[in-house]
Amino acid sequence: MTTSRLPAPAGALLDRAKPITFGFDGRSYTGFEGDTIASALAANGVGVLSRSFKYHRPRAVLSAAGHDANALVQIGAEPSVPADRRRIEPGLSVTPQNVFGSLAHDRAAVIDSLGRFLPVGFYYKTFFRPKGSWKHWEKLIRALAGLGKVDLAAPHGYHDKQYLFADVAVVGGGAAGMAAALEAAEVGAEVVLIEENPRLGGALGYARFDPEGGHGASLMAELAAKVEAHTGITVMLDATCNGWFADHYLPVIRGTRLHKLRARSVVVATGSYEQPLVFRNNDLPGVMYSSAAQRLIRHYGVRPGTRAVVATANGDGYGAALDLLEAGVEVACVADLRPERSDGALADAVADRGVPIVRGATVTEAVPQRGLVGIEAARVARITGQGLTTALDDRFACDLIVTAIGYNPTTNLIHHAGGRVSYNEETAMFEVTWLPETLHAAGSVTGTFALDAVIGEGRRAGWSAARDAGFKVGAAPAVPNDRGQRGVNHPWPIFPHPKGRDFIDFDEDIQVHDILDAIQEGYDDIELMKRFSTCGMGPSQGRHSSLNSVRLTARATGRTVDETGTTTSRPPYAQESFGVLAGRSFEPERLTPMHHRHVEAGARMMVAGQWYRPEYYGPAATRAENIRREVMAVREAVGLIDVSTLGGLEVCGPDAAEFLNRIYTFAYAKQPVGRARYALMTDQAGVVVDDGVACRFHDHHFYVTATTSGAAAVYQRMLFWNAQWRLQVNVTNVTASWAAVNLAGPKARMVLAKICADVELSAEAFPYMEVRQGNLAGIPARIIRIGFVGELGYEIHVPSSQGEALWDALMAAGQEHGIVPFGIEAQRLLRLEKGHIIIGQDTDGVTHVFEADMAWAISRNKPYFVGKRTLAIHEKNGLTRKLVGFTLKNPADPAPKESHLVIRDGQIVGRTTSVNGSFVLGKVIGLAYVAPDQAEPGTTFQIRIEGGRMIEAVVEKPPFYDPGNKRQEL
Amino acid sequence: MHLDPSTLPRRGFLYRELAALGASFVEVNGQAAPIHLAAGQEAEASAARVMGLADASALRRGGYKGWTALDWLRGQGVAIGDNNTTVVQDEGSRVARLADSEALILGDLAGRSALLDRVEAAWSFEGAVGAYPVPRPDTNFWFRITGAHAANMLAKMCGVDLRPRKFPDGAVAQTSVARMSAIVIRHDLGATLAYDMIADSAAAAYMWRCLLDAMDEFEGKPVGLGAVRALAAEGSSP
Amino acid sequence: MKILNCPLNGPRNISEFVWGGEVRTHPALDCSDAEWADYAALENNTAGVVREWWYHVPTAYWIIAERDTVKDVIVRTYPARELFKDRVVFEAPAKQEGR
Repeated sequence: MTTSRLPAPAGALLDRAKPITFGFDGRSYTGFEGDTIASALAANGVGVLSRSFKYHRPRAVLSAAGHDANALVQIGAEPSVPADRRRIEPGLSVTPQNVFGSLAHDRAAVIDSLGRFLPVGFYYKTFFRPKGSWKHWEKLIRALAGLGKVDLAAPHGYHDKQYLFADVAVVGGGAAGMAAALEAAEVGAEVVLIEENPRLGGALGYARFDPEGGHGASLMAELAAKVEAHTGITVMLDATCNGWFADHYLPVIRGTRLHKLRARSVVVATGSYEQPLVFRNNDLPGVMYSSAAQRLIRHYGVRPGTRAVVATANGDGYGAALDLLEAGVEVACVADLRPERSDGALADAVADRGVPIVRGATVTEAVPQRGLVGIEAARVARITGQGLTTALDDRFACDLIVTAIGYNPTTNLIHHAGGRVSYNEETAMFEVTWLPETLHAAGSVTGTFALDAVIGEGRRAGWSAARDAGFKVGAAPAVPNDRGQRGVNHPWPIFPHPKGRDFIDFDEDIQVHDILDAIQEGYDDIELMKRFSTCGMGPSQGRHSSLNSVRLTARATGRTVDETGTTTSRPPYAQESFGVLAGRSFEPERLTPMHHRHVEAGARMMVAGQWYRPEYYGPAATRAENIRREVMAVREAVGLIDVSTLGGLEVCGPDAAEFLNRIYTFAYAKQPVGRARYALMTDQAGVVVDDGVACRFHDHHFYVTATTSGAAAVYQRMLFWNAQWRLQVNVTNVTASWAAVNLAGPKARMVLAKICADVELSAEAFPYMEVRQGNLAGIPARIIRIGFVGELGYEIHVPSSQGEALWDALMAAGQEHGIVPFGIEAQRLLRLEKGHIIIGQDTDGVTHVFEADMAWAISRNKPYFVGKRTLAIHEKNGLTRKLVGFTLKNPADPAPKESHLVIRDGQIVGRTTSVNGSFVLGKVIGLAYVAPDQAEPGTTFQIRIEGGRMIEAVVEKPPFYDPGNKRQEL
Repeated sequence: MHLDPSTLPRRGFLYRELAALGASFVEVNGQAAPIHLAAGQEAEASAARVMGLADASALRRGGYKGWTALDWLRGQGVAIGDNNTTVVQDEGSRVARLADSEALILGDLAGRSALLDRVEAAWSFEGAVGAYPVPRPDTNFWFRITGAHAANMLAKMCGVDLRPRKFPDGAVAQTSVARMSAIVIRHDLGATLAYDMIADSAAAAYMWRCLLDAMDEFEGKPVGLGAVRALAAEGSSP
Repeated sequence: MKILNCPLNGPRNISEFVWGGEVRTHPALDCSDAEWADYAALENNTAGVVREWWYHVPTAYWIIAERDTVKDVIVRTYPARELFKDRVVFEAPAKQEGR
């Protein structure tokens, strides 16, 4: 292939005033702005773009449209970039893919000559015996058969997402799409028109519709000007609609942004893919589609060769021949696969130019240059039957073979939406036979090729889509009867060669016999054939292989193409990068009002759901010492912990107490104002789902806390039940509106007294489990006397805007008493010493109240609470496990970790849930599920720790610390 | 006039971020409100016409929720429209109906709401059974998002079509923004497209960062309340 | 992504909602254990139109949706109060103590 640059007017997409220099395979090249990597390289005479996946055969432009894997290259850290789509930029550094050594002399190309030893299914059969051998082979095979290189050190790019909205989305900016967009916009619909190329026009921009060659361009200019001028149409160029999702939700990728387009109706005008002619060496550089040759000439001003053979079965081959002639390419021969004389002005024009036309003939082989880097001749023979040719052939010297044997519709989006296609034996085409409501199709995707019918169909689809989107429309636009479906597709463009290299799938190097072998092996269903042979599983996802592989499978299995069917098309339509998918993902972060104070105090922050909380204060290197210091401050002086993340719910109304009676297991009807009461929530299965404290501030008002992780779900459950009960109660989630701290330790009262003027704090006036409202350092506060950590303590809730001021006031007031802020780790130990459970840590998704040993929290004197009936059944049926406290029988044993298993007679009967070393008690304490008959204090049970070692634990009834609970009630 | 926000007991959710941007603060409702950032009011008002973000969290707001909430408010002389619409009251506050059982009340740009003063004084558990106050000032931050690009920018964070032609002045969207539940209200400032965003106060810093990032391509800038007031003064927005 | 038409907020991406299970009738408090287990633990998993709870998270609003699980179509949505009109009162079954 001797490619070169053509003078203007060829190259409509180029700006020749702007030369751009870039690098490829270690050398520097210059193209023009508007060039793709592939077109610029072709203009520089570079013949090979990449090496193939399996055999490392040289590959180059096939579609020139970014639709195939022949042109995949690597750009820096970005693998598998379509070189025939990506435009050049100054300084771009491009490397070929899947190359060992150099592109021109690939050391692995020897695999090609070993090809007959690499049959389909080779990997499946060869490397799995003896057992374990695959792991040795895998490295070698993965290194040889691969696409680009993934650079794990690649910097993160900036990708983001944006919603888009339209009444009508039109996918495809060719003649049909432009006509549809205009028709819909005319009646007032807001239209988004998505086109994957840098300009509108589709085939109008490169194909030849008339002998003179000007019709496409003038129609394109007319339609594009109307579209661009229409205020109702938003045109997205260089944008790929990568799928159809429910209710017309379309992911549209443009650059580094994923647009999430929601439309009320959709027009699919995605056109069709030109299909390959199958003959020996049909994959070599210099063999390309007619549309590719025309794109190179008209879009990019590249002469695709010097001497061409055209193999055609439709008018487009003749159109391409005329374009080649105009571009100064000698056309040695047109081989027309059809035996009868084709009508048509394009064929006549070719004949008039003196080009020899051989009818009923095909190219049977591309004769390769040395090293397979191009072709030096085409062999042309007469067709004698389906896939058969005469042995005698003519040899035409050439460096370019252009094929035009038909198209396969780009029905991906139609498949995603649930539309159906079937094969029409008369036209040898897959045709759309059914579309879901509010989805419409127009143009060659429906098998319509006659230009006036394409336009008519586009208008009709736009009209229908606007109507579906709720717009008032007039009479339906007419569609001409002759849609030009005949004489486009050849029914059997497959000419297997005795020596093979007759490729069906270029991505995966699948040849005719690979398909037939797969069927021979019994994989005769199209889906099985695909997976066994990997045909259609490469980057181009069967765009060029699906039609021919189905035809082959149908013939080999004695079924029709329609009976054989196609494999299922799923999103994405084209390759998409992980960057686009991961994009600018939103990870909400919630900070308490005191967050910055913790950071300033050297806290190590940990993530708790969306919240950030202090794990402990001080350097990581002294973690254990930090936690010990915090624990001892609470036990001996006073500590302060930020508990703002606790859920807060205001439950108000005449039925507030009745509501809590139903929602929680305890009794609240007679709870006096000014008292706090434990609140344990179960679901209808009796499973413990949350806990907190219910504080009564008024007959009609409870303030209820919930766990940090459970707050949203508790709110949701409360509303769920009252949507059914219809009680006179209102629940508001006020989690974020209250900052809260727990001031705990023997000196807590002294600290609080310093900033509290209006609440009497003595143990008599304000005893344990009571609540007060007052002012602390001038800040309005709700003060609850509870003791999660087992010391004299006050949980103080203030408006979140004043949380930081409260923290500052308490830290200042506590300074003389040695106040220490403490984190989650210290709190976890402190509460374990008291035997308090943490829902979700000491309980799991099925732990019920009796298993958690919390029967004390159930009120049996009320008719109903959520979960009551199931708990009654559990009580009747007895326990299968129970949560108990434990210590180690031998203090020298290593401490178990959380979730180590409790083993009895070789069976798992439970697990540890919390384990910690207590500083004040000087021993390891924990909670664990054991068998019910192991739950008595003093019973010994076994825990399997790391390394499989068994250690003995002894049941001890919590609280481990201050069993009489005197300290919290001081 | 230099007001240090940390000298007041009520502190904004973003006072550190705003101070780092060079904000000048004034006291509004007992907390420091960012009146100007470093650029100054003239430049900020120009920026806000294109794409601006202001923290209005110091401004007065409130709400009532419950099965009689709307009736009780109507009884207090409050005008309430359909669900997810806003009614501007005679004295300047705006009342957005969030549900059949809830209304949100937003005060003016000076931080006042005579309406809230009045209904808060009238409210009691006994006197308003079924209508309960929602502590909006602490539950929620309140941002103003301004400028011609505001709808395009919000489309990067929110799946509801907020473009002016589909989302009229006063319309309310209770939706998910950057994966946080939020109330978005269109409330133009004079001739400038503008939205209120009201959401979880604990996520104020997160949302502020998300918005600044999304605004970047539109030359968006954080601005002070002074710029917002200046835009409002160009029309007749309360 | 599907759209669910919220009776309060209009058409919204279904990601704004949380599924809340089938709408079921609470059995009488003196029902059999089997009836209770059917209510508390089992889903009918109907192929056809099902009536389900859905929760719009940003407005904390429970609604009911009728959804065709075969056609993957949301047939109808409405506020829960259309089904649950009256205050529910629980009274202890008379014989409960004797069991």
